[in-house]
Amino acid sequence: MSETAGAPRLAFRLRRDGLFPRILVAIGLSMLCAAVLVALAGHNPLTAFRAMLAGALGSPYQIGTVLNRTCPYLLAGAGLALCFRAGVINMGSDGQIAMGGIGTAATVLAWPGPPTVITAIAALIAAILCGGLWAAVATAIHLGRRVHEVLVTLLLNFVALLFVQLVLSGPLGQPGAGFLQSPAMPRAVWLWRVPHFYFHIGILIGVFASLALSFLLWKTPWGFAIRVTGRSRAAAAYAGFSTAAVTWGVMLTAGGLAGLGGGVEILGLHHRLIEGFSTGFGFKAVTVALLGALEPAAVIPAALFVGLLETGALAMQRQIGVPSALVVVIEGITMLFILTATVRRA
Amino acid sequence: MAALLEMRGIVRCYGKLRANDGIDLDVHAGEIVGLLGENGSGKSTLMKVLFGMVPPDGGGIVFRGKELAGHRPGDAMAAGIAMIHQHFMLVEAMTVVENVMLGWKESGWWLGRHAMAARIRETSERFGLALDPFARVADLPLGRRQRIEILKAVLREAELLILDEPTSNLAPSEVTELLAILRRLRQDGKGIVFITHKLPEVMAVCDTVTVLRAGKVSGRAPVAGASRAGLAGMMVGRDVTAPQILGEIAPGPIRLDIQGLSGPGLGPIDLTLRGGEILGIAGVDGNGQLELAETLAGLRRATAGRISLDGQEITRATVNARMQAGLAYMPADRSSTALVRSMTIADNLMLRDSRRAPYRRHGLLAGRAGLTKAKALMQRFDIRAPSPATPASRLSGGNQQKIVIARELDRNPAVLIAHQPTWGLDPGATHFVLERMIALRDAGACVIYISSELEEVLSISDRVAVIAGGTIAGIMARAAIDMPQLGLWMSGRAA
Amino acid sequence: MIDFLAAAIRIATPLIFAALGGILSERAGVFAVGLEGMMLMGAFSAVIGAWASSSAAVGLLLAVLGGGAIGLIVAIVTVRYRADNMVTGLTANILALGLTTYLLHILAGTAAIQVDPLGPWPIPGLSRIPVAGPLLFSHPPLTYLAVLGCAGLSVLLFRTQTGLLLRATGENPEAVFVAGADPQRLRMIAVISCGAIAGLGGAVLSLQQVGTFTDGMTGGRGYLALASLIVGRWHPWGAAAACLVFGAAEALEFRLQGFGIPVSSYVVQMMPYLIAIAVLAGLGRSTKLPAFIGKPL
Repeated sequence: MSETAGAPRLAFRLRRDGLFPRILVAIGLSMLCAAVLVALAGHNPLTAFRAMLAGALGSPYQIGTVLNRTCPYLLAGAGLALCFRAGVINMGSDGQIAMGGIGTAATVLAWPGPPTVITAIAALIAAILCGGLWAAVATAIHLGRRVHEVLVTLLLNFVALLFVQLVLSGPLGQPGAGFLQSPAMPRAVWLWRVPHFYFHIGILIGVFASLALSFLLWKTPWGFAIRVTGRSRAAAAYAGFSTAAVTWGVMLTAGGLAGLGGGVEILGLHHRLIEGFSTGFGFKAVTVALLGALEPAAVIPAALFVGLLETGALAMQRQIGVPSALVVVIEGITMLFILTATVRRA
Repeated sequence: MAALLEMRGIVRCYGKLRANDGIDLDVHAGEIVGLLGENGSGKSTLMKVLFGMVPPDGGGIVFRGKELAGHRPGDAMAAGIAMIHQHFMLVEAMTVVENVMLGWKESGWWLGRHAMAARIRETSERFGLALDPFARVADLPLGRRQRIEILKAVLREAELLILDEPTSNLAPSEVTELLAILRRLRQDGKGIVFITHKLPEVMAVCDTVTVLRAGKVSGRAPVAGASRAGLAGMMVGRDVTAPQILGEIAPGPIRLDIQGLSGPGLGPIDLTLRGGEILGIAGVDGNGQLELAETLAGLRRATAGRISLDGQEITRATVNARMQAGLAYMPADRSSTALVRSMTIADNLMLRDSRRAPYRRHGLLAGRAGLTKAKALMQRFDIRAPSPATPASRLSGGNQQKIVIARELDRNPAVLIAHQPTWGLDPGATHFVLERMIALRDAGACVIYISSELEEVLSISDRVAVIAGGTIAGIMARAAIDMPQLGLWMSGRAA
Repeated sequence: MIDFLAAAIRIATPLIFAALGGILSERAGVFAVGLEGMMLMGAFSAVIGAWASSSAAVGLLLAVLGGGAIGLIVAIVTVRYRADNMVTGLTANILALGLTTYLLHILAGTAAIQVDPLGPWPIPGLSRIPVAGPLLFSHPPLTYLAVLGCAGLSVLLFRTQTGLLLRATGENPEAVFVAGADPQRLRMIAVISCGAIAGLGGAVLSLQQVGTFTDGMTGGRGYLALASLIVGRWHPWGAAAACLVFGAAEALEFRLQGFGIPVSSYVVQMMPYLIAIAVLAGLGRSTKLPAFIGKPL
């Protein structure tokens, strides 16, 4: 899709005041819809929600599971908040996370000599670079050839997911596993886990990154350029900000962070590269970015909420047999409510 | 004979504003009624009520002996009213014939383009419209596009045509042709409402005139025998043509030198400005004004030529470098270029200066210093708002424009390019803007004042240039204004 | 070769339906990012309908309704509430994924739902023609419907008042409004119809080709359809041609393996996406979108 002079730009018409209450209402309404769906399945919604809550917060281990699940959503979502603020609709987190995973796995598996902490750090840097590179491919096609970024990033997601399968069926694969996966990583590169809770330090990286992005957005001239560009491209050009430079900046930042999210997922959770490990993460990232009202710091609670929901849903499925796909429905409905509630012209 | 249209006591409010406050209007068949008034006097609102685009809060409409109430544009059209908007309601990617058929019951669900094209040719000939049915609208000049609207009205057997500011985008020769078409329509027995704020056109073509001011009818008269001064008096409380008093100052050194500047739709343009001078650029809209302003400001790339400012070449400089060299720019598009409406006053005041002190300290945005600066600027430029944290969208047009002026003048520019700076402002705000331009001039800077309002350009400029077809058709000094010559220059494009 | 081309047509058929729906939506000014979800919901509803009633016709009807329901959601959120088209479309896709997965588990539990796929309807006489017969005239019913759909949509868009109004809505809705029609309503109708037609595309996948539904079985085909309607310049026949190209790229997979050419099947599976990106990049700046697309009314 090309863009002519008056081409549509995303306009998240955010109203600072009264936005968070509306998001809470949206969450409440979607929970209501979910309750109806649970009842349709012949279960008691209250029992189901109780099982969900207990499954997510019932023990330190479960809390740790929530935090681990939150981690990639937070890293990718905070970057997306920045992209959306600039009016750049990056839908490519899926692919960028996948590429980050490949970068990490390749670094660890190809590491000369015995693996150490340095290996882990190098692997995470590789994750950032690979995620950034994948975002750069999309940005180059988008800016250079005027193809709409949504289309490029979405199509590149499929390529990236197939690319994971490709490398797992070849150089990075574990022959004879019966499953597309890499060999397990040595313990030395695993991310440190907090004792008792068993969550890895990825969540801390995520919180730090979100706060840093929030600072960047509100306290630096570059953040100002992002905010102006997102609201009016014409005003940004008039102010002397280059839309192309801002687009490159937010895409590379978001791509790098998404890649890091992929790397952290591998080193912290799976300890190996697995086929399809990032499938669907891109949409979760979009969800948490919007739930957080495109405010990187507010993406932290938003991502925690989604992580909690999903961990709880798995427990709910185990205990009372309500399909965990319910979470995806809740996320979708929440998003629809948020879209209708926040974008309507004041 | 009963009137074709009778509007009685029309009231329409927008919030507290009574945009129409008890207006009566009569139009007879075979009559052209001029509806005269300043911006914001209620002309457009009245016509929107008539055409069913907004419901009235009071009053009634009788058209061809039948009451018209609770109607929508479709009903108004079916009754025989046609509206020709200032911005044409045409689909540019489609052909003339497709635009004519759009939404028209008589063209049928199965579209018969060739039969319709024949009708278009026939009607077009009868009224001297000269339209090719299969031309794409995007390829036609504005004057022709307007004729498509007239053609649509005539084909749909409209008895009443409303023309909203029909001459604002036309070159003088196109205006003459339009007036001739209107006279033919009058002969054909159509009633016409001609909305304008330009007196000469009213005098040339209208039979009677109704003048609106602040939502009320301030006068009504047959044109035969009316004097221009009398009509102008009914229209406004102030004399629009009164020239600003420009103090005599000796021209300074050359500050802006433009040689052979060209770009898409522009040039080549040569202009030289000295300090202490306002150069007015008059011309029909769409003749390269925006291209010139944006090329000078660095928003468009020049394909040839050079621009130098105080001896420093800035032809290829970035927007930022030009600002630092002393170039200030007030764009015509206030709502999405000059300002970010959803951002605060403080943010808008630093829009172009966020990389410089006092807004930036140690590489970060200096929040508090920025607020202090904003408060100072609000006071100095009389920006009336509760606080610097108020969103710009909550301000009136005049106060919004003051933000732009404050930001651009605070840099002490050597050159200011002001594009339609008084557009949509009330008289007080207009006066404020003009005053600031003159103060800047008196301080030794130079101003390029671009406007399609010829009288305004004449009132403030030391020299007046006319832009037509992307080039400067001619320049004359304030002392030696020759109106017919200006008119000729302005119509250069159409010739 | 005939096998290869027939496979290309088979793979292209669901894409063509989705692309036709997308053309309606985008011509009326709403980006059709939600095609994936509309197809998925259509695929699910078709199988459930056919399974529950043992009638393919009921399945098709439900596919139309299911896809249309997603279209209705997109229409309400984008047209009435003026939300961003792209994010709404994506959300609709996720919602459809979640709903179909959830409902499938509830309705079928762990058991697989199996229905008889729609068999070919050879056209009497014509199907006997050598080469062309098996290639063009021996398809299941929905494939013919896709061709009829292309013709029908072309006529609707370019030969009727409705089409004229629809196209004008995507270009200049204000002109439609002053012409006495309701652009908002036209957009709603266009997006809902888009869902219904794309739902049929989903039915082709599930009901006509495999006879069952699996989670997320559309696997990105909606996005390919979106790419093909852009490549086809918002014209039914152009989009159909683009769909055939993508279909051919996917059909290549089986051929290459058949010839024993040592190319990873993953690389071959990437081909449709890579070709789509390459073609879009190649068209680049020359693509002309409807002037008012993506902008709220």
